[in-house]
Amino acid sequence: MKGFSYFLYFPGCSSAEGTAVGYGQSIKEVSGPLGLALVELEDWNCCGSTPYGSTRELESLCIAARNLALAEKTKITVLDEDSKPVEKNGLDLVTPCSSCYTTLKRAVSLMRDYPDLKHKVDECLAAAGLEYKGKVKVRHLFEVVYNDVGLEFIKSKVVNPLNGLKVAAYYGCQLLRPEASFDNPRNPQSLGQLITTLGGESVPFHQKDRCCGSSLVIPELDLALGLIHEILESAASNGAQCIVTLCPLCQTNLDAYQSLVNSKFKTKYNLPVLFFTQLIGLAIIPKVFPIHIPKYPIVPEYLGLHTNIVSPNPVLEHLFMTRFYAAQRS
Amino acid sequence: MIRMKRANGGGNREVALKGLKAMPEVEAVMPVFSGDYDVIAMVDAPVKVEEIAKRIEALEWVKSLQVLKVEPAAPNPFLEEVCSLPGGECVRWCMQCGMCSASCPNASKMDYSPRKIIALIRAGRRYDVLTSNSMWVCASCYLCTARCPKDVKITELMHSLERLAAQHGLRNTAVATPIMYEAFVDSIRGNGRVHEVGMMMRFYLKTNPFAALRMVPVASQLMLHRRMAFMPRRIKGAEQIKAMVKKAQALGGER
Repeated sequence: MKGFSYFLYFPGCSSAEGTAVGYGQSIKEVSGPLGLALVELEDWNCCGSTPYGSTRELESLCIAARNLALAEKTKITVLDEDSKPVEKNGLDLVTPCSSCYTTLKRAVSLMRDYPDLKHKVDECLAAAGLEYKGKVKVRHLFEVVYNDVGLEFIKSKVVNPLNGLKVAAYYGCQLLRPEASFDNPRNPQSLGQLITTLGGESVPFHQKDRCCGSSLVIPELDLALGLIHEILESAASNGAQCIVTLCPLCQTNLDAYQSLVNSKFKTKYNLPVLFFTQLIGLAIIPKVFPIHIPKYPIVPEYLGLHTNIVSPNPVLEHLFMTRFYAAQRS
Repeated sequence: MIRMKRANGGGNREVALKGLKAMPEVEAVMPVFSGDYDVIAMVDAPVKVEEIAKRIEALEWVKSLQVLKVEPAAPNPFLEEVCSLPGGECVRWCMQCGMCSASCPNASKMDYSPRKIIALIRAGRRYDVLTSNSMWVCASCYLCTARCPKDVKITELMHSLERLAAQHGLRNTAVATPIMYEAFVDSIRGNGRVHEVGMMMRFYLKTNPFAALRMVPVASQLMLHRRMAFMPRRIKGAEQIKAMVKKAQALGGER
């Protein structure tokens, strides 16, 4: 058993209490078994996302920098192997949201590359009694799972393999763009590898890094529905049984707006859209199958699965039935 | 651009190239191996090209000289303005290949595709650029930025144009994105975090409340699946946010 790795956790507005609460819940349940100790950043605020940065430059940087400043001064006390308290600081800031990830990274690099801007931000932070020295490293939760936890470790933890579940790995935009820190941004493979590790099958999916419409879904609904339609069509035509995402906004757009896409384009998509943490949880947490009854309309209330709007029951049924038949055969 | 021929007694070509490189006005020099001329020099200041040519002519190794292009660049304040913004300086690097427009998922909905936007900026057409809907239908997917062969930061440029449009009081009335962005910003300013329900309500009240009817099935599903928080949560440091916003407005103006 390997020890815990400590990270500062920045949930972001939607995973904390907004439209992607299921993401936050599944992360809470999965992080322990994966050996990740995620310590929530005390009193964090919204990163500002695209809308703030698009309307006010300096203000949006200050809003993002407050989180960085808080992360820099956070110290946590943990017990080491001999149960002695040890103080840790300078932890990496981990966020599960691709938009928070890009926005915070953008703030870090703008303040690094434009000293004038950094100077102004420093003044604003000082007005709030804060200071940012520029030492925080911002990381995406998926990258931490892929690089730090590692596929080998995850493989050793799998108790309910996905039994060939056909999954479309959807990366979305802001994990690997504008700057990719770990995978090939033109043809990413990491999420597909994770799916294979969990025992699923990653289907070909040419829309895997295309845009879901992001927040334009509110002001420009028809435009966004067209983009969502293309993604769903690509996944469905390749025989996917579900889509897996790593961004709360992508999940909300693909999941909650699927009914609107169906009525606008006269289609009948019924693709569950899971977070990657939910998929990991299904494979490595050993409790789901005894309580799941096939064809039962209510989704079990764990891993945040009950918050998925397109019911994830077909996925659970696939896992249950393949295991059931395998048990009968043996 | 200045083309020149060496004098017979003017030493070898290396001397000529070295002499030209030492001049601060000369941006690049290259030897030519065919035709009548031996060396080409690119001049950094096109307005003063004649003056620089005279100084080169005075050098002892120059036999004859021809000035190829004398076009004083028209002043372009809009280009200068865009170039002064963080990330805007890259507009000059664009070679108009159109990779951005080909990659953009929303280019077909734009008044001007990203490539045209850059061309219009370089043509100095401020009004056309800032009243277009192009930047407001950019979804920040960064596909253009990732694929640009000249490393132009097109997504950043689009955001800069959004800010510039507001600064100049220009608006495209066909898009509702600015109103949504404002509602989003207000939500953060008030509570420190975005309250999605409140933000949506504010947006629909400011635009068209009847458009919200179309969202009823989505909203009711989100509600049924407990994905809507009705009460906003205020962070403890909301006062810090207020102080920073106040200071930032004092330092950098309203935008």
